[in-house]
Amino acid sequence: VLRLFSRPMSRRMRGAYRWFDERTGSTELIHKGLYEAVPEKGGWAYTLGSATLVLILLQLFTGIFLLLVYTPSFADGWSTLRFLQDSDRFGSWVRGMHLWGAYVLILVIGLHMLRTFLSASYKRPRELNWVTGAILFFLVLGLAITGAMLPMDQAAYWTLVVVTNIPHYIPVIGDGLRQLWRGNSDFVGQVSLTRTFAIHIWVLPFLMFSFIGAHLYLLRRHGEFGSWVNYPAESADPERAEHELGERIRKAEPPYPARRIERQWSVPRHTVEFFPTQLFKDTVISLLFITIIFVFGFLVGAPLSDQANPATLTYVPTPEWFFLPLDQVLVLTPQTYLIFAGVVVLIGVGATCMILLPFLDRSRERSPLRRPEVLLPGLFLTGLLILLTVLGANRLYNL
Amino acid sequence: MGAHLAATPPLQPVPTSLLGGQLAVAFVALLHVLIATFLTGGSFLIAVSEGISIARNDERHERLAGGILKAMAYLFSFGAALAIFWVLFVLLGMWGTFFIALTRITFWPFVFEASLFLTEIVLLYTLYANWERLRAYRRVRFGMVILLAVALWWQQFFIDVVASFMLTPNGGDTSQLNQYLNPTDLPLTIHRTAGNIAWAGAIVAAVAGVRYLRARRREMRVRVENPPAERSVGAMSATWFTDADGSRAAHAAATGNVAFFDWVGTWGAVWAISLTMFQPWIGYSYAKEIQLHAYPAWYRMMFGDLSNVFLLQITLLGGIFILGNVFFWRRMRASKARGRRTQVAVLVLLVPATLLAAVPARFGWTYPDVVAAHQDRPWWDGGLLNPIGTMIPNKVVALLVMMICALVSLTSFLRAHSAGEVRWGDATRRSQWLLVSLGVTVMLMMLTMGIIREHSRQPYLIEGELTIQGQHILNPTPGGTVPGSPSP
Repeated sequence: VLRLFSRPMSRRMRGAYRWFDERTGSTELIHKGLYEAVPEKGGWAYTLGSATLVLILLQLFTGIFLLLVYTPSFADGWSTLRFLQDSDRFGSWVRGMHLWGAYVLILVIGLHMLRTFLSASYKRPRELNWVTGAILFFLVLGLAITGAMLPMDQAAYWTLVVVTNIPHYIPVIGDGLRQLWRGNSDFVGQVSLTRTFAIHIWVLPFLMFSFIGAHLYLLRRHGEFGSWVNYPAESADPERAEHELGERIRKAEPPYPARRIERQWSVPRHTVEFFPTQLFKDTVISLLFITIIFVFGFLVGAPLSDQANPATLTYVPTPEWFFLPLDQVLVLTPQTYLIFAGVVVLIGVGATCMILLPFLDRSRERSPLRRPEVLLPGLFLTGLLILLTVLGANRLYNL
Repeated sequence: MGAHLAATPPLQPVPTSLLGGQLAVAFVALLHVLIATFLTGGSFLIAVSEGISIARNDERHERLAGGILKAMAYLFSFGAALAIFWVLFVLLGMWGTFFIALTRITFWPFVFEASLFLTEIVLLYTLYANWERLRAYRRVRFGMVILLAVALWWQQFFIDVVASFMLTPNGGDTSQLNQYLNPTDLPLTIHRTAGNIAWAGAIVAAVAGVRYLRARRREMRVRVENPPAERSVGAMSATWFTDADGSRAAHAAATGNVAFFDWVGTWGAVWAISLTMFQPWIGYSYAKEIQLHAYPAWYRMMFGDLSNVFLLQITLLGGIFILGNVFFWRRMRASKARGRRTQVAVLVLLVPATLLAAVPARFGWTYPDVVAAHQDRPWWDGGLLNPIGTMIPNKVVALLVMMICALVSLTSFLRAHSAGEVRWGDATRRSQWLLVSLGVTVMLMMLTMGIIREHSRQPYLIEGELTIQGQHILNPTPGGTVPGSPSP
């Protein structure tokens, strides 16, 4: 023991690390994580995935802080948040960050999916990357809407009423689902809140982190990028180019070799190490989003309206902005079976098509302009969602 | 001088009837709208084509951009003169009281509008006069084209502020914020942005259709006048390489024009259909805002005498989609492209959807007429109502079907095109007449929309605030009155 402490500090640290590394293989793990070859082109466009992960972790972090104060109670939920807003030194800021974090996360994950869609990164062998990613998108939306129901102010209460009623429009099983969520079929109460809280902090996060694990595993297995951008053909002749690309992709499917191995280095043609080049870009973009969340969380915060009052006749419930397209569709289809057709069928079919996109688009084409059969409906739906959001916001502003 | 003015009798109204004034507005305004909207949409198409021509070194796009710009310059000259006539003689001369009131309320939007008008003049004529010279500075030219499109869009935005305020003035709140954020401003702006591009696309397609037919005739004449040389190597080299008799150049020019106008027609039709696809949702949201904030106008539109014009409008919308679908079908058939059956299947769905949308909800002129006659029962109960033609849910379902059909039709065509199965220059004569019909139908659509929007406010010029006879005047400034206006 005396000999151990008589060594210089640096040697002692190295020895400790060797001991740890021998048992855990941490050096190999770090090397695997940092020294992967990634394509040189399109690095900035590919930072949105890591930004999404960082934002999800930020949500987890701020959510844990909120859990230290919040009580999921019909009677006391609002008061605990009022205390957080008014009496806690950083409570209002942390709550604001949780809200703005959710907003930015939805935007970033949407942009990440749009980028993946345009660059056809969901094609073989990355079909399951897309499927897990699309499911993650819906889980994040689920987390956002269940989170909006918890503060037990007027907005939260009426969101709880409206959203837990949506299953009612599903034929046969709809009423059963509504009863399961609400605890009874007619009105919302403490049971509805408890179940929503459980969904928000346990069910959805459990599913989300499971899918994140799967998504990251698949990402490392198939390589960082999978875009057409990275696979320029040598030949100008379309047929030969297609053949050449097919051959190159087939031979050199990721994981990309970290060292030059025969000719496989040619896919993608120009690469850089993940560390430090790509990690630098990822860090810059993630920090930018975190800064936006910090600033908006501090300056704007999260609203907390009056305590929930089921007897009110004057309060006009308004949805969160990311559900405005759905709300606008509901307003424009004001009849029971139109609601079913518009909300359940159209959106249900749309969501299913979105998740199963890699199995619907089986062509070998990766360039967006050569895939109009998926590009056009995709852009049309994206355009429609943006339009309905803007028009819905305009309607609510003028109510 | 002062004594002479003092002796002048008081200003007299322009000797015209109310109907005369209304007809003047209808004629001049609709013509003005057709030109102005084409300029806005056309500038967007120029920007897109110029951008593509730079990015992909595509000469077709450069030629198209130059062609649209030239057309815009000519139309703008006429349109600007018409606008001056419209403001000076029709609005100030015949509707002075109203127009002064409106100008004083929406003073700043008009100021911005006029400033952008000047910007438009500078940019458009500079581009027109120097289009070829600026070829050496493509990026500068592209920048100017972008600026032109932006200026024109903002011009449209500011006039939308005025037009939407007239329909939904929110109880006469004349604050700047309310003018810009009045309930129908944003829906109208989005509606017109998409509509203007679609309209410009339809006009480009129609003109290209006519030019294609002419180019095709010329090509046939060239072939007859300059028959191909004998098919020997020597003869071919004589004609192809020495161009001794000029037939090669003539052939190439004629064939090039045919292919070019075929491509332009299709390009225009693609824009027209793809932007119109969004309009059912946008238009429906716009109508919803009118229902919420100008109910009498909405009632007139949906149940009153304008409901028949509205019915025509929804039928024309179906007509646009059908014409687009049949064009794509025939265009694919001419090139023997795959996926033609999809177009036929779409047509089979589109026609009944359009018929369902066209069926009136009552067999009477207006709903109040039917109620007054105590006939508000379904026709199978001896009444005059037709529940099959109701807006909700049947016409809404028909609109959804139309939209999805148009999307499938367009996607199918573009898929064939991206697979290289559409050859430019193959188009038949009939397909070009379809493009011309598409242009005419979109124009009729624009006219009916203008009629509906302007007439839905009657008897008001500013909904709920200022009647057509000028009996109710908004106070543009607190405590002030509009000069020359009758007391409320």
